[in-house]
Amino acid sequence: MPEETVDVLIVGSGHSGGMVAKILTEKGISCVMLNAGPIVDYQKDRELKPAYELPYRGFKMPGRLPHVFQANEFNANTWVDEKEVPYTYNQDEPYNWVRVRLFGGRSLFWARQSFRLSDYEFKAKDHDGFGTNWPIDLSDLAPYYSRVEEIFRVSGHPDGLPQYPDGNFVVDDSPWSGSMQRFIAAGKKLNVPVCKARSAMGRDGLASSINLLLPDAFATGKLTAVPNVVVREITVDKNTGLANGANFVDRHSRREMSVKARVVVLAAGCLESTRLLLNSKLANSSGVLGHYLIDNVYGPGVVCSVPEARDGKATPDLMGGDGLIPRFRNITTKSPNFIGGYALNLWSSDRAMGARNFAAYGAELQTKLDSYYGSGFYMSMMGQVLSHYENHVSINKSVVDAWDIPVLHIDTKYTDNEFNMSRDAVDTGVAMAEAAGFEVLSKNYEPNPPGYSIHELGTCRMGDDPKTSVLNKWNQSHDIENLFVVDGSSFVSTGWQNPTMTILALSMRAAERTAEQMQQRNIG
Amino acid sequence: MRRRDFVKAIVTVPVTAMPIFGQNAPPTTIEKTSEPQSASSAAAPPTPETAPKQVEQPRSFGFQSPAIPATIPDEIATTEQHYFRAEHMATLRKLGDILLPPMNGYPGSTQACAPEFIDFLISVSPVERQTMYRSGLDRLNAESHKQFSIPFAQVNAEQADALLRPWLRTWMVDHPPTEPFAHFVNVAHEDIRTATMNSQAWSIAATSAGERAPGIGWYWSPIDPDIQMYV
Repeated sequence: MPEETVDVLIVGSGHSGGMVAKILTEKGISCVMLNAGPIVDYQKDRELKPAYELPYRGFKMPGRLPHVFQANEFNANTWVDEKEVPYTYNQDEPYNWVRVRLFGGRSLFWARQSFRLSDYEFKAKDHDGFGTNWPIDLSDLAPYYSRVEEIFRVSGHPDGLPQYPDGNFVVDDSPWSGSMQRFIAAGKKLNVPVCKARSAMGRDGLASSINLLLPDAFATGKLTAVPNVVVREITVDKNTGLANGANFVDRHSRREMSVKARVVVLAAGCLESTRLLLNSKLANSSGVLGHYLIDNVYGPGVVCSVPEARDGKATPDLMGGDGLIPRFRNITTKSPNFIGGYALNLWSSDRAMGARNFAAYGAELQTKLDSYYGSGFYMSMMGQVLSHYENHVSINKSVVDAWDIPVLHIDTKYTDNEFNMSRDAVDTGVAMAEAAGFEVLSKNYEPNPPGYSIHELGTCRMGDDPKTSVLNKWNQSHDIENLFVVDGSSFVSTGWQNPTMTILALSMRAAERTAEQMQQRNIG
Repeated sequence: MRRRDFVKAIVTVPVTAMPIFGQNAPPTTIEKTSEPQSASSAAAPPTPETAPKQVEQPRSFGFQSPAIPATIPDEIATTEQHYFRAEHMATLRKLGDILLPPMNGYPGSTQACAPEFIDFLISVSPVERQTMYRSGLDRLNAESHKQFSIPFAQVNAEQADALLRPWLRTWMVDHPPTEPFAHFVNVAHEDIRTATMNSQAWSIAATSAGERAPGIGWYWSPIDPDIQMYV
């Protein structure tokens, strides 16, 4: 029976866990990585199939994955099943907790939008007069962003906008299509910037922990990975008060096991790490563990058609390409209806348009679909959610998952700020489309339920004051010096940005600091 | 493999050795794994081996899975309609005919058996969706009786248009109309289109027309599924 204490125990194998494993092992520190799910094999586990061969003809299996709007019959087996790992919420305030437990976690499937936060987010309290400043700013994180962008091969164009900080890009100098140029011109009239999108190209079609981070860690010979083990609790030495390992259960056999470690790093995703700490009754002297749950508003958007591209006249010069309107509200002026800001994703498509964009049926609908083919221009909002103490998660002891681990109760909702912001985003999109001469076909003001963006953040917030934060600025527990939480739960606030680059930069920074501290024998 | 070789392989392997259809052969011989253990032998631990025995190669070692030309049941059978009442089903069939008739060599809702598939789909759906469909079909039929004194199943194209067009909306994914009857009309429209365009009949028509069939994607199999979910 192995009784050896491992150097570092990492719970979770996604972007943040992968980054910590890479940094620590490259510095000679041995790590054990536990992951709740299996290792995926892209060759064995998936195959091209027509929908008619599937049991439900491509419809999502009725009643399965009710809160995973992203699920369909093709990908249903990649998401965590709510029946296996339930969570609870108030019936009139649903939450879409979208989870992946495969090795590599959600890094296997993310949309790859790659942004830095700006000081409008890091110092939001100073700028907006609401919330709390982070204990760090962009200058602290910029060197780490640069290294992360290099690893993930982020494509982008430097625009020189303080709210859309430039990075270490694979420079995108591709020309704009004609439809995008018209939209840019419309933006200039309305004082709305339109920029190139920024996206992680990754390698070989994947920008994941399993192909960009973990191979380096395994190459050192210092990483041991264990799939299919569900961590039940973090254990603590009663004499020292330090974390000393974890109890976990084998996913298949339900065999209970434990492992000892000098340092524990949680990287299980914001809400799973928070659930683990709450179930372990650790790291909560501040009382804010589980509070300030935030994400991004997704759902509002606009669908348009470029008239000149209809009836077979769509050309590569006219249609195609994507772009982004970065936050422009509440930068130099103040919006009367909301704090913070939003961005709009833009894409011009030379493909078929969806039937729901036309109030028609039968032959008339088919005529419309044929005519509008290749003329679509789309906008979708990514909005900031304000941090409120009241939006929180707690343990629901009356419900357990398949391994008898108490589940989370999620109590959160959007406020007028998010709804007003959504309305402004759609109205702005419509105004720009009309100014560009596009026909607006459909629009939606209603946000998807909280959680839909898969950007849950904030429930182990960092800060300088142990009385008001769970972690210090190095993602280290104020209460337990050898316990770190490196996923998105450390966020103090969010902006409109996909948080992945920030999570990666923070976890890289935290890992380097941890390695330093371990080598100086300050911890572990 | 020629057909007789394949049949020979099947008949010489016990039923419990079905893993031959996979790429991974069982780790021990088929005879050993297929023999049921008696109560006494199951209770007694095996005698420890003092020296490694020569590993026997599984009988299926090297076996290459044959390409079995299988089809889907829709190709040889019809779906037993069982959920909707007769008048609901008649209304749904007519709705399908109106919203997606056969066009340009492609099948319509009826030819793709979309109403029968939707009958099955709704029968296994959550109660909210079942109620939405039944109420919507009732309302459509009631409106038809009210305006034209005939069931919806008997309306002509002009009458159907008068009943449906006022409720057609444009909408974005995940955000269908909220008014109940508009919700039904628009969601049923999308369901009819999906069930039709994802059918094998549509795929065959697309192939015949030299076009790419819709509804093809990367299907993920259950990945090392948790055993307790399936017992």
